[in-house]
Amino acid sequence: MDYARSDALAIKILIAGGFGVGKTTLVSAVSEIQPLSTEELLSDRGTRVDDTSGVEAKTTTTVALDFGRITLREGLWIYLFGTPGQDRFWFMWDELAIGALGAVVLADTRRLGDAFPAVDFFEQRHIPYMVAVNEFDGARRHDPNVIRRALAVPGHVPLMVCDARDRESAKEVLLALVRHAKDMSGVRA
Amino acid sequence: MAAEEDPDPGPLVRMFAVTGGRARAVGEAFDVIAVVTTIGMPYDQAGLSPEHLAALRVATRPTTVADIGTRLRLPLNITRVLLSDLRSEGLVSIDPPAATAGVLNERIYQEVLNGLRAL
Repeated sequence: MDYARSDALAIKILIAGGFGVGKTTLVSAVSEIQPLSTEELLSDRGTRVDDTSGVEAKTTTTVALDFGRITLREGLWIYLFGTPGQDRFWFMWDELAIGALGAVVLADTRRLGDAFPAVDFFEQRHIPYMVAVNEFDGARRHDPNVIRRALAVPGHVPLMVCDARDRESAKEVLLALVRHAKDMSGVRA
Repeated sequence: MAAEEDPDPGPLVRMFAVTGGRARAVGEAFDVIAVVTTIGMPYDQAGLSPEHLAALRVATRPTTVADIGTRLRLPLNITRVLLSDLRSEGLVSIDPPAATAGVLNERIYQEVLNGLRAL
């Protein structure tokens, strides 16, 4: 081996938010690879799929899980996972959230309510998160404080406006999240 | 989903054939970004599928589960079954991601911040 295996570290950041809010766009903006879509084969939860009858009965479906990667150095990677937008795949969030450094909740001012479930999810699990308001072309500019109140996001949680298509903007979002997660880890310690 | 309307169960059947019909990984669960490292090559490759051997080759450099799945063009849980087989055989190690392993210390946070700024 080139180096001790304990030297290789992978860090997971989730990109959450409603359907079509720009999660894959944000991942594309900073990822060194085209966001890859790995399919997760799902079986009915609680149903044993030890044989192919599960396949024949169509209890199996697939859900695409988009991810991007940033190599900070040999053996230190950030993986960005776009969480499935559809409500029916909610249970996948639980598994994805385990071992995550933190999460970005992308919000769209035209459909602010779509961000509620994600904010709730990370609040309840005490996972460090921040809110990034994706300002689409032509979207009305909103006062971040108004958005914070509307989403009931606590004061210590970073909230900023971003352009998910822009690499520098996406970098700022990730920096804000990592700084916040670092602060939170200090509180927990 | 298109898969639900597709009357041909072929791809799914083929994918499960890779794992001998098994849908679940054996042993302790591991993360989608757990780091897989090949720690041994089998003397006898008879019991291993081409997919097992491909995974072993990819993981000669430490590689995450997600990246192995993508390289092998296999869904995640199929990939997990294969990797859990290799772990049972003592051919790979599977290490949890940094946050779960509790190794995220001040130094690593700082390295991540510096690395992001330098992008």
